[in-house]
Amino acid sequence: MSALGHSLRAARVPHHESLTRRAQAQLVLPVMGLGAWALGVSQIAPSSIGDYGLLASANPFLILGFVAVIGGFVLELARHAPRGWLLTLDLIALIVMVQATVPIVFGGTPEYAWVYKHVGIISSFAHYGRITDPGNIYDQWPALFAAVASISSLAHVNAITFAAWAPLAFELADALLLLAIFRLLTDDRRVPYLAVALYVGLIAWVGQDYLSPQAFAFMLWLAMALVILRWLRAAAPTSPEGRIAKLRASLATDLAPVPKTTRAQRIVALLLVIAIYFVIVAAHQLTPYVILAGIGALTVLDLLRPRWLLALLAVIAAAYLLPRYGLISGNFGGLFSGGNPIQNASGARGTYHAGGEAFTARIVHLLAAGMWLLALAAVVARRRALGRVLIPALLAFSPFVILGAQSYGGEAIYRVYLFSAPWCALLIAGLLLETRRPRRLPIRWAVTAIVCIATLLAGLQGLYGPVAVNAFTSSELNASQWLYGHAQRGSLIVLPDENFPTLQAADYNSYDLQVMPSDPQLGESWLDEANLPEVKSWIESLGNQTAYLVVSRSMNSYARYFGAPRGYEKLVTEIPSALGGSVVYHNPDTTIYRLTAD
Amino acid sequence: MSARTQLTAYAGLASSTLAVALVLGAPTSWLRLIGALLLACVPVGAAVMCWIDAGENAAQAGLTLAVSLTVVALASAIMIWLSSWQPRALFVLAGAAAISCVLRLRVARPAGGGR
Repeated sequence: MSALGHSLRAARVPHHESLTRRAQAQLVLPVMGLGAWALGVSQIAPSSIGDYGLLASANPFLILGFVAVIGGFVLELARHAPRGWLLTLDLIALIVMVQATVPIVFGGTPEYAWVYKHVGIISSFAHYGRITDPGNIYDQWPALFAAVASISSLAHVNAITFAAWAPLAFELADALLLLAIFRLLTDDRRVPYLAVALYVGLIAWVGQDYLSPQAFAFMLWLAMALVILRWLRAAAPTSPEGRIAKLRASLATDLAPVPKTTRAQRIVALLLVIAIYFVIVAAHQLTPYVILAGIGALTVLDLLRPRWLLALLAVIAAAYLLPRYGLISGNFGGLFSGGNPIQNASGARGTYHAGGEAFTARIVHLLAAGMWLLALAAVVARRRALGRVLIPALLAFSPFVILGAQSYGGEAIYRVYLFSAPWCALLIAGLLLETRRPRRLPIRWAVTAIVCIATLLAGLQGLYGPVAVNAFTSSELNASQWLYGHAQRGSLIVLPDENFPTLQAADYNSYDLQVMPSDPQLGESWLDEANLPEVKSWIESLGNQTAYLVVSRSMNSYARYFGAPRGYEKLVTEIPSALGGSVVYHNPDTTIYRLTAD
Repeated sequence: MSARTQLTAYAGLASSTLAVALVLGAPTSWLRLIGALLLACVPVGAAVMCWIDAGENAAQAGLTLAVSLTVVALASAIMIWLSSWQPRALFVLAGAAAISCVLRLRVARPAGGGR
């Protein structure tokens, strides 16, 4: 025994030490990463962030923090038996780091000017308890705003105080639902975790998770998808008859088995799907139709039951839309306004594409192209067992149908990306991890780490690149609140560009807010702001005796970043003399002038 | 009754009670906000999901959250549509959720009150 025993012990000890060392690295790296991130964040001043964004302005600890957390995550994935709790903690840490950075740096003020409009609707609901502005599209799709108004009213807290944290909350909820969905679609324990990590990076730049109906509707769609995939999947026919059944049988080779369900469970699941879908319909204009595309694809291939569910959901969507169709046609030119998919996929128009804006745009274009190409590669790699990727592939590419009908004010392509990303993440994760060829194993984890880090950094550049434009300081918010607190109702508020927190007050529609028609991104752009007599005459044409004109740090950043509106710099320097304005409010980031008609 | 649905029922019961207590009695706005968020995110979903086992912890938790938010959003939108804004009416949902969870726990208990 002794010779064998000694040799066994000798063989075991180094192995044990190696395991311990690796386990420590998996635990220590994320903790170090969080520490480095915290240090990095603490040293960022909003005023130091330039046109290339937060990553370019931050010290290296910020980026090192992200890399360390990803490193620990991939090391844990590479273990023989990865620990679910540790992978979950890594993912939570990653999401917190991605989504909490901007709120911390900017003192908890919400990012994006349009979030303040949403806060205005919420405040209006909480204050008046009814629809006050029926012509406003937000009032007619009130589900999210009403829910947040309930929370705000119950807590006696204005939504502006917690709106900045909505992206973090939505991303955590999305990650939880995605983890559950991905576990239904793969039997590999690692793939769901990796897919969620990839999703966090892929989705970061698209900026659809702020306090908004689409973020809420997207989260509910994930819940709907989970219910459908868990309880409403159709079993494969034993002897397929008919064209669709045969097509499905050929596509569904190696399809994961349908989870066992009872009739009662399926009825409850059906009721849940209908209830969730109705709330989505009442929350957001576009999401119900993207969902119909996904459910339509599953129904055509007979992957879900009952088949009439698709028709019922379509009826719900149409019944809600019809009485409000005038608003849709007014805002987006009708349901099928743009039959040109290429144009609908071109995104926002009128940007100058120079400097930091061009750099960030290039990065996210590469990220989007890479995502869809890798997802396609995953489908091709599984061509002999398409069933393994059939459901994610259908859900990843069905959102493109929307581009055939709508540009959604230039935003359709972003929504397509949003709805496609989770399923692409799953396909890519499968491509990276499900290889069974031993020769490829040694480089698999290195490739996985590189893909994760590259995806995350590209997504972060997309998210943090325009942060000097999209985020607002507390001084700017204070100025806006002063304006709504002091300007008389009915006053004219003039903005040289749209990038300022406005409309967040409950009585937002008691003020006449006008943005100068000088920014090609907003449509009409005939006015040159450097032509001060023309600006003066435009303001006078609005017909108010008194106007408040606001200029701010965020407007300066916007003008520098996008190269629009035209003539903004001259306007800012010459307002008092040329327009006869007097300063009524000033802080380090904002000046408000009162202009009085001659 | 699985351990998962049992845990969901306990979570629903605890969150209903805690949420109402925090909203009504917390001394600071942040605690009230936590109570309101808890009320929106857990009780109603737990009341439904304590009867259905999703088969997996993340699915159970995710659906509890999503079902709660769905019902709270629907109830809030109905109040707005009817112009009868009474956010405290959501306490009724918390009460109903607590009843559902208690019922679930009682139904699961073996005849004779268990061991």
